[in-house]
Amino acid sequence: MSGPTTTPYRSALTGGRDTFGRLLLAEWTKLRSVRRWMLTLISAAVLTMLVGLLIASGSGGTREVTGGGAGGKVRLADHYTDGGQFVERELAGDGELVARVNTQERSAGRAKAGLMIRASDAPGAAYAAVVVTPDHGVRLQSGYDRDRAGGGGPVPRWLKLVRAGHTITAYESADGTGWRRVGRVDPGQLPQTARIGLFVGSPDAVEVERQFGNEGISGQTTTGKATFDHVRLTPAQPQQPTGTWHNRVGPDGSTGPSGPAVERPGAGPPPGFTEVDGTFTVIGTGDIGPDPFGEDGTQTILGGVLIGLIAVVALGVLSITAEFHRDTIRTTFAAVPRRGRVLAAKAIVIGAATFVAGLVGTFGAFAITGPVERGKDRIPAGLSDPNVLRALIGTAALLAVVAVFALAIGAILRRGAPAIAVVLALLLIPRIVGSGLSVSTATWLERLTPAAGFAIQRTFDRYDSTVGPWTGLGVMCLYAAAALVVAGWRLRRRDT
Amino acid sequence: MRNAAHAEWTKLRTVRSTGWLLLGLIAATVLVSALATSAMHTSHCPTPAGCFEDITKDSLIGVRVGQIAVVLLAVSVIGNEYGTGMMHTSLTAHPRRLTLLAGKALPLATLVATASTLAVLASLWAGRTILAGNGFTPEHGYPTPPPIDGPTLRAAAGTILYLTLIALLSFGIALLIRDTAGALTVVLTLLYILPLLATAITDPDWHRRLEKLTPMTAGLAIQTTRNLDRLPIAPWPGLAVLAGYTATALLLGTLTFTRRDA
Repeated sequence: MSGPTTTPYRSALTGGRDTFGRLLLAEWTKLRSVRRWMLTLISAAVLTMLVGLLIASGSGGTREVTGGGAGGKVRLADHYTDGGQFVERELAGDGELVARVNTQERSAGRAKAGLMIRASDAPGAAYAAVVVTPDHGVRLQSGYDRDRAGGGGPVPRWLKLVRAGHTITAYESADGTGWRRVGRVDPGQLPQTARIGLFVGSPDAVEVERQFGNEGISGQTTTGKATFDHVRLTPAQPQQPTGTWHNRVGPDGSTGPSGPAVERPGAGPPPGFTEVDGTFTVIGTGDIGPDPFGEDGTQTILGGVLIGLIAVVALGVLSITAEFHRDTIRTTFAAVPRRGRVLAAKAIVIGAATFVAGLVGTFGAFAITGPVERGKDRIPAGLSDPNVLRALIGTAALLAVVAVFALAIGAILRRGAPAIAVVLALLLIPRIVGSGLSVSTATWLERLTPAAGFAIQRTFDRYDSTVGPWTGLGVMCLYAAAALVVAGWRLRRRDT
Repeated sequence: MRNAAHAEWTKLRTVRSTGWLLLGLIAATVLVSALATSAMHTSHCPTPAGCFEDITKDSLIGVRVGQIAVVLLAVSVIGNEYGTGMMHTSLTAHPRRLTLLAGKALPLATLVATASTLAVLASLWAGRTILAGNGFTPEHGYPTPPPIDGPTLRAAAGTILYLTLIALLSFGIALLIRDTAGALTVVLTLLYILPLLATAITDPDWHRRLEKLTPMTAGLAIQTTRNLDRLPIAPWPGLAVLAGYTATALLLGTLTFTRRDA
């Protein structure tokens, strides 16, 4: 019965070195070779684009032209407002304007009364202004986004604006004799003959109001009023035909309500100015500067990400729970016994794959919505416009972090459906509960839940922004990191 | 049919997650309602009486979150049987598929309706108590205790119906998809993402149309007890829209279930 001893079969191949690179490759192969998962990734990108297109075609036409733009078209990247009341004269060449702001009504903490020089009456024209505010002292502003604090106390206060070539220098004084320089700016594109004069503005107040079961936050018009005296323009300008003080000509060609005052019911005194013995009383509504009430076109077209998000959450969760379900996790852990490294490799692969799909989705949505906006006489934001790239890349990064978060929750709960439910509930809770919530509750939800991550889609700070873009994404990252730590700990401690 | 229902009832009763999910439904509904109402105050209104606040609707706000547990329960009833292969055993025991389905749907609907009743009553009590403490008092036109009148009963009974319809909708979609996670994803998209897309569409006509056709917005119109003219769709027609979704899902689900190999 005894035969020759048989040697058990041994593979002639040497075992692969246990490097992290091989682990990554293995996980990528798993993800790549399950057709359903690749379809999910592709559909996340495609849905983001298509829904963005749908949103772009179904929206629009409601935005007021406060900023203006080229030929009546609305530039979606413009987030400035060019309101307020400007009582102006022409100034040929160099010169200076001096005036004392005698009184200023406290219509808003940042209500403005002061002197302005601007290139033209057209909306969005280059300007520089030195103004007094009730709560924030003297400010020197230009370019709709530059704002320099100039110290100084309350009204009455003397202000002086000097033009020399391209540069504007602003001074302030308590008594009109001892002048202190506030600063010097180059507003750019100032023509030889510019417009100079008195400016009064008052930004909209943000109000929280509850009615009919909805609590909303909105802007309410406020009316600023200030009196100026000792107004002196040097050198003296010719009186006719445009040499007298007049209101700025509106974008529609109207000279504003400078003639017979049109009473608007419940809106306070109409904007305009009166002059009595050298004392100017100027009433104005609206503001000049960044517009916190505008529509964020880039954020709007990225709305399709909500659909893509669902696919990404499902993918992240299932990429690990499917292994538990099919018991392939035993094989995986037999091949790589260090479970933390498996989780890390899965997180990197799923995060990177989702990031790429997210980039395709966001840039695709950006590209295909452009023609739609142009068809509606709106000029879409360009990649070079401020924060647009941040929003597009950041949204893809948000999707990647969400996928990693979903993976971690999946690893903790080990079952697909409950994990998907938990992740989606956490991400969508402020939106699920909706506008019935009080604004304060909604604000804190948007700061403290993973939903904060959506802040990265913003391209400018709106009046209803609750959390900064990077802070918001950071909150989401913290959730993902914490979930990963718990998941790693649970994987090591528990049997498969 | 009785045997099938009894067998399915035993299954549902003895699965540990059923109890947790029903508890989750009640806890999430009541907790979210209580938290949300505790932050509502008449000081946010133009005048205390000028809020036109719908106390009943506010007290039931937690249903929007609690329904996730219902969806999860309903999709697992079908999905888990496919996931574990249990469906083969069930069909061997009850070869008449319609009977099996009815036997599954009936205990599910009964359980959900019962738990919903508890959740709705507790939420109403909690919400009303909290809101009365936040200035929604008789002097401001909000009677305490609020009357148990027609609209309130409609809201309470309607919300229980709503949750039951959501359970059956999820059940039907799970029959179509045969996978717990997949069905859950589809139902949650239908419930939560469609209304969000509706808000993103600013064109007023399309916005209105979408609001009427989204299952959650239309179905929850039943919770409104005052200022009905501000609703995109009236309470009962709204619930009928959801019932339409449910009927379609059940019909398609049943058709595929009876015709397809398990």
